[in-house]
Amino acid sequence: MSDRLKTTFCGVEFKNPIITASGTFGYGLEYANHIDIGRLGGISVKGISLREVQGNPMPRIMETTSGMLNAIGLQNVGVVKFIKEKLPELRKYDTKVIVNFWGKTVDEYIEVAQILDDADVDMLEMNISCPNIKEGGIAFGTDPKMTYEVTSRVKKVVQNKPLMVKLSPNVTNIRVFAKACEDAGADAISAINTLLGMSVNIHTRKPNIFNVTGGLSGPAIKPVAIRMVHEVFRTVKIPVMGIGGIMDWRDVVEFSLVGAGAMQVGTANFVDPNIPLKIIDDLEKYLADNNIANLSELTGTVDLSR
Amino acid sequence: MKGKVIRNQRLNDKYYFLEIKSEEFVRSVKVGQFLMIKPSSNDYTHDPLLRRPLGVADVNGDRFSLVYMVVGKGTKLLSEFHEGGTIEFSNPLGNSFTMNENKRVALVAGGIGIAPVYWLAKTLKDRGCVVDLYYGGRTVDDVVLLEELKENTDHLIVTTDDGSAGIRGFVTVPFKENVESYDIVYTCGPKGMLEAVSGICVSAGIPVEVSLDERMACGLGACLGCIIYVKEGDDVVQKRCCVEGPVFDGAKVAWDRLK
Repeated sequence: MSDRLKTTFCGVEFKNPIITASGTFGYGLEYANHIDIGRLGGISVKGISLREVQGNPMPRIMETTSGMLNAIGLQNVGVVKFIKEKLPELRKYDTKVIVNFWGKTVDEYIEVAQILDDADVDMLEMNISCPNIKEGGIAFGTDPKMTYEVTSRVKKVVQNKPLMVKLSPNVTNIRVFAKACEDAGADAISAINTLLGMSVNIHTRKPNIFNVTGGLSGPAIKPVAIRMVHEVFRTVKIPVMGIGGIMDWRDVVEFSLVGAGAMQVGTANFVDPNIPLKIIDDLEKYLADNNIANLSELTGTVDLSR
Repeated sequence: MKGKVIRNQRLNDKYYFLEIKSEEFVRSVKVGQFLMIKPSSNDYTHDPLLRRPLGVADVNGDRFSLVYMVVGKGTKLLSEFHEGGTIEFSNPLGNSFTMNENKRVALVAGGIGIAPVYWLAKTLKDRGCVVDLYYGGRTVDDVVLLEELKENTDHLIVTTDDGSAGIRGFVTVPFKENVESYDIVYTCGPKGMLEAVSGICVSAGIPVEVSLDERMACGLGACLGCIIYVKEGDDVVQKRCCVEGPVFDGAKVAWDRLK
């Protein structure tokens, strides 16, 4: 591997910009039997909360056209068990660890963030955008005042790690939220989380997901994600991590052109666990073929001239 | 992994038999495991997006077989694969059935639940077991591969809801009459049937292994979309059908929590 894919994001050195997205890669270890997770730029683990969470009743997932709906309900083992049982195993691999976390109240966000700030992790990703549980942060992610409040208060206790805030696309103007994060001291923004959706079984006339609504992900949402990353990049100075429907290297280049400094691959991990590694190889080849010394040369260079 | 389609045979209006050549897959697969199979050979579209979980129905030399029912877009596309074509799939996934030798075994299958039971019957016969198969479906179209099954079992008891093949009625009726004569029971099919079979076995004090089927996105234990509820002491705990299953102790499944 050359240096073409080396990526510095918020001061963290990633060997490549391909990071697996929270909620689609477990604690990383689930995939270790299937792919070499040490080749990934980084892993953003399943959203962690103060206490263990059981998640929503079944059914939780449904495939839709070029995408899927999920309402898992942020099921996770809790921060203590994560640090004790999962993190030491994950640390055996040569990849950066980003911990996605959430709380039901500002105080819970602060408490989890404080614990993680002292743990052996590379970066924190604050989830204020899960659409699937009422208290799971969506209230913080759809009101700019609350986005500012939770970000600024968490930032006060996060001394050692970069703090990235993951934004919801389920808002009229994402720029306002990006600005609120930046003003509150966030070090980076990741966008986007899932789009709120719904599907109904026409035979039973019941929703296909117990929770009634779920988060839409996969290639179906990519154009929305590209538009939103574009808007965020042109609103704030802090870096943006692009997420939403990435399936191959072309999608990564597209996110790069609208300003993403690194990218998260999500639903594609379900489709085929080899996809992120294939993207890394293909991207390397694309950059070499086009004499691009580093992917960062492309960041935000979309040509808007008419 | 990739393999070559040896045959993709239509058994009737609903059911297909797909045989794939892959030494790599066959080398490690165990009876009761499943795979996630890509339903289309088209790399330029992402619809349908996810792979489909299918139970492995047989292994022969360097080939393995799947039996599937065409129910939607994915399985319809799967039915269009031609002989000689290349098809993509995952590693063998999940746990496996407990193997037994020289036992009296009952297998109870409902509809498409025949898939893992087919290979299980052959394997148990090879290990000296006496194997009786109770196989139920809605109509004659839901009971397939009867000749092959007859060859690989000691008794084959077929039932259909409408009497269009075998005995009219539920498969649990003849099974219940004979349950006492078995050392162990294995079952795969609709949840209602699995619950009934498990109940009959628990009452008779006979161990029962059930193979469960849930919607899955990844099949690897990451998406948490395929949760099964299992009793552990006084608690009911969550298990992932794809990793801790698909085979569970029927006496421990919290059936009232499964929809």
